Amino acid sequence: MARFDPYENNGGTCVAIAGAGYCVVAADMRLSVGYSILTRDHSKIAHLADKCVLASSGFQGDVKALQKNLAAKELVYEHNHNKKMSCPAMAQLLSNTLYYKRFFPYYAFNVLGGLDSEGKGCVFTYDAVGSYERTGYSAQGTGATLMMPVLDNQLKSPSPLLLPARDAVTPLSEAEAVDLVKDVFASATERDIYTGDKLEIVIINSSGSRRECIELRKD
Amino acid sequence: MVGKNCFAIASDRRLGVQLQTVATDFQRVFKIHDKLYIGLSGLATDVQTLYQRLVFRHKLYQLREERDMKPQTFASLVSALLYEKRFGPYFCQPVIAGLGEDNEPFICTMDCIGAKELAKDFVVSGTASESLYGACESMYKPNMEPEELFETVSQALQASVDRDCLSGWGGYVLVVTPTEIQERG
Repeated sequence: MARFDPYENNGGTCVAIAGAGYCVVAADMRLSVGYSILTRDHSKIAHLADKCVLASSGFQGDVKALQKNLAAKELVYEHNHNKKMSCPAMAQLLSNTLYYKRFFPYYAFNVLGGLDSEGKGCVFTYDAVGSYERTGYSAQGTGATLMMPVLDNQLKSPSPLLLPARDAVTPLSEAEAVDLVKDVFASATERDIYTGDKLEIVIINSSGSRRECIELRKD
Repeated sequence: MVGKNCFAIASDRRLGVQLQTVATDFQRVFKIHDKLYIGLSGLATDVQTLYQRLVFRHKLYQLREERDMKPQTFASLVSALLYEKRFGPYFCQPVIAGLGEDNEPFICTMDCIGAKELAKDFVVSGTASESLYGACESMYKPNMEPEELFETVSQALQASVDRDCLSGWGGYVLVVTPTEIQERG
């Protein structure tokens, strides 16, 4: 007898890189179930506040619910405090929201990216139950194990493997970071069956946010 | 990994039992003959037994044929040896690299029951294999010279094993060209 399984892995990979005055958040746009592709056009990125963007891979049903939950809490915060939530504040909120469901978790692997109150880029990486860390860069999802070593190698100074971390953000320029993101996604698309189709890149800097969409291999 | 008329084969040096490290100088890459090497990952006892069996078979081949085995032939031999144990396998994933006819580089990998996978660029195996796939895919370029190939393989190995808690404690890289063999620990 097959028991009802409340979870499903829709695949996909999310990446974020923080720089001195920018943050790049990217995710592929493939939605899969098992060995099938449901759509090549599904965004995993949610704009929670004007300088704060969440990218989540895992079970997209839980991801949608989580995004709705966070958006609602952010609105309540705005009404109570008369200002938009900052990225570090949203980071803590996300952690608490995830841990609230510690015994029936959101099957969501999140990467939160944005600018902190000083305008410096920040990236927060999470596990499914809310354990989080501020890092200079991170990847989550099915292609994350393929991408992290390359990011460690290219963005040496903010690596969380160096103790103490030499830099909080990467010294790369915005254009170089975007190129690196495109390269790692191209490599992950080759070897991970759940990553591909299209890549959505959101770049946040002092002048606001912009979105780029590029094609990836569709096989 | 394949380069221009050369190849590189590399491994880490850790021997562990789950989280306990037992040795930091474990040899996983073995020479079959001057232009043929095999790397074995997985259960250490099977790594050593398989290596001993393969060297034995190759020595017999050398006595009968009075020449060294070609890499493609050796790969078929490994595949057959592993499939003999189909229902009680060796817990090992081999990576074979050699220079064949006309010093053409040859690489291949297998699963633990002998399914061969030939590749033109690189092959990986072990606990950090996913990380290695990502790193090699990003760093590989076709037709690299031996020095560049050495750098690439070292960086890919280092980056990948640093993200795997069961691999590490040093690396060993071997670059083989038709005229010389370079090893670096």
